[in-house]
Amino acid sequence: MKTDELIAALAADTPAVAPGALRRRLALALLAATAAAVALVLVWLGMRPDMHFAMRKAAFWIKAGYTLALAACGFSLTLRMGRPGAGAGPALGAAPAIFGALAVLAAVELLASPAGLRADELMGDSWRACPFLIMVIATPVFAATIWALRGMAPTRLRVAGASAGLLAGGVGATVYGLHCQEMSAAFVVTWYSLGVAGCVAVGALLGPRLLRW
Amino acid sequence: MTDEARLKALMLRGLAGEAQAHAALLSAMSGYLRGYFSRRLGAGAADVEDLVQDTLLAIHLRRGTYDPAQLFTPWAYALARYKLLDHFRRAGVRKTAPLEDAGDLFAAENPEEGAVRRDLSKLLGALPKRQRQLVEDVKLTGLSMEEAAAKSDMSVTAVKVSVHRSMKAMARKVRDEDR
Repeated sequence: MKTDELIAALAADTPAVAPGALRRRLALALLAATAAAVALVLVWLGMRPDMHFAMRKAAFWIKAGYTLALAACGFSLTLRMGRPGAGAGPALGAAPAIFGALAVLAAVELLASPAGLRADELMGDSWRACPFLIMVIATPVFAATIWALRGMAPTRLRVAGASAGLLAGGVGATVYGLHCQEMSAAFVVTWYSLGVAGCVAVGALLGPRLLRW
Repeated sequence: MTDEARLKALMLRGLAGEAQAHAALLSAMSGYLRGYFSRRLGAGAADVEDLVQDTLLAIHLRRGTYDPAQLFTPWAYALARYKLLDHFRRAGVRKTAPLEDAGDLFAAENPEEGAVRRDLSKLLGALPKRQRQLVEDVKLTGLSMEEAAAKSDMSVTAVKVSVHRSMKAMARKVRDEDR
């Protein structure tokens, strides 16, 4: 087909494009996937039995706030990576800063504890399972994010994949917080971050494979 | 950059549903794309028009990913570059292209005049075939050293040495003729 004919054919199909369509697509996908992740946690792991009391503690909200902040960075990055030519934006620097802030809080908390209790505070009871569980719970969110990205036009596939991983990891870790009873900042900044980092790594690995168009 | 302003205006009108503006945009882009891909693949390459059409299709189908608050030309360039690298990937060659060089796509048209081309052909004709091909690739087609090396299956160093020697030989010839 000659190029002029192609142009004519394409121009014949030019509906108006609604602004914000990309953001809506991602948000919708996230909503569905988060519901699935919550269902997964409640059925498979069960909600923490002391939820009613835990929700009154600052530590609970610090934990949720941390993981949600990482998810927000992932959301911002993912939307940008879906647009050709867009830079990474503020989220790229914000994510490490958020990690750093919690790390400082964790250090302060640890130092304020008696020396004998510090190892327990750091390792908790579930350090072996935590990162792995976060990655499992993040999986439906990751799949939904990849689906949303495929409706955009990612041109840097590894970074796009990593962004999807950050979003999925942040959401997955937040949902995991419905079950997990660990409360110390040291535990969260170590093992939760590891879980999220694992999602980022998997995303970067799979990006080129899943997002090519 | 007036190209940016003109193209962005067409793009925005196309996004609003104006078919004619969209057609004008695609038409204009086809010219830029043809030049860009010709420079990167070699002017005679059969794939150039295929790539142009591929990229126009991408511009059309993915126009929802353009953010009206941003510049148009980096968006278009990122798409073109993605298609180019994808083409190389499918052809099995490892290449790089600069990330931040929208000027590469929207450069002015080729500067060669007829007289210059005649002298050039004479000079190049004096070179051995392989050296001539390398000079054409690097100096005329505008391939980077890495791209020319991949194309000729030589090391980058060998390409640099060869092109350097060829340029010296041609310069000497020009000097001799001027005497």
